Amino acid sequence: MAESIPTVTAIADVEFGGELPAFTPDTSIDATRRFGQHVGWNTPRFTDHDGARKEGLPGAIVPGVMSQGFLGAMIHRWAPTAEIITIDTVFRAPVLVDQPHKITGVVTDIDEDELTVEIDLTVTNEAGETRVFGTATARLPS
Amino acid sequence: MILDLHTHSIKSDDGRAKVRNYCQWVRTRNVPIDGFVLTEHRQFDFESDYSGLARDFDLVILKGAEVETEYGHVLVYGVTEPLYETFDFGSIGLPLEEVIEHCNAHDAVAAPCHPGRPRVGMSAHLAEHGVPKGVRIVEIYNGGSRGEEDAVAAAMADELGYIGIGGSDSHIVSHIGRCATEFPEPVTTEAELVAALKSERFRAITTR
Repeated sequence: MAESIPTVTAIADVEFGGELPAFTPDTSIDATRRFGQHVGWNTPRFTDHDGARKEGLPGAIVPGVMSQGFLGAMIHRWAPTAEIITIDTVFRAPVLVDQPHKITGVVTDIDEDELTVEIDLTVTNEAGETRVFGTATARLPS
Repeated sequence: MILDLHTHSIKSDDGRAKVRNYCQWVRTRNVPIDGFVLTEHRQFDFESDYSGLARDFDLVILKGAEVETEYGHVLVYGVTEPLYETFDFGSIGLPLEEVIEHCNAHDAVAAPCHPGRPRVGMSAHLAEHGVPKGVRIVEIYNGGSRGEEDAVAAAMADELGYIGIGGSDSHIVSHIGRCATEFPEPVTTEAELVAALKSERFRAITTR
């Protein structure tokens, strides 16, 4: 049976400090290889641990734009009708392939005139270290 | 009195938090701090007046700076216009000892932050540059630390006899208050903060 995710459909459903359902991104090497094939990035740093290590990385890393895609997916899972206006990220450390990560999001601003919400987004690894953080602005129906 | 001594707002190039939202967050989520210090990167924000927000939310909002030296990043508390004119806050290669000397001469305090961090932390540069003169306070709890960075900072502080402060290094709203510094007396102005730091009576705390 599919997991039931609480969703919002209008800006009136949103509260300051409200948490988005946590999101577990697929950071497997299969996922980054598929992504690489689709976007034409078959560089070892994203698709091969040994090749990435030869480039001085601790292992293969998830492309930044793929992480941003996870953030967008998370927002749309929470608010399927939302129009994402911006996703603005700061990459503090690599998101390592084949290592579990969690994405959390919380609403940190609501503009009822513009029908927009601002969401803090944080990608953490199993140790709880922040790897990526940022904010997104999304417009919701009235 | 608990203050988060290291926060960034949208005034910093990598900051994404509006100060009003920090205040709302602290009150809505009952973050256990009484206020925070905005330490924007490579600048001091003379323009912004947060006294209204401070009053509305019953929070202390102070201002400092985070500058960049050959030993990594350094927090500066007690910034005044005369101090601001003594060195280029926008430089990324300031000599730490000179920053400390200028701060001492202008009744300000300089404290290396996230000193356990590779590249931008003080401990990474000790082998090359030696132990700098004049450091008394370093940040031993930083909300953005990864791996052993805080442990490296604490070990360095122990070894060299430094006193530790804590700050979240928050760049987004929900990260404020992860680390902070507790003072035995009220601190409500930048001058009181400098005096409290110089008294060396405080302790770093972390809620992570």
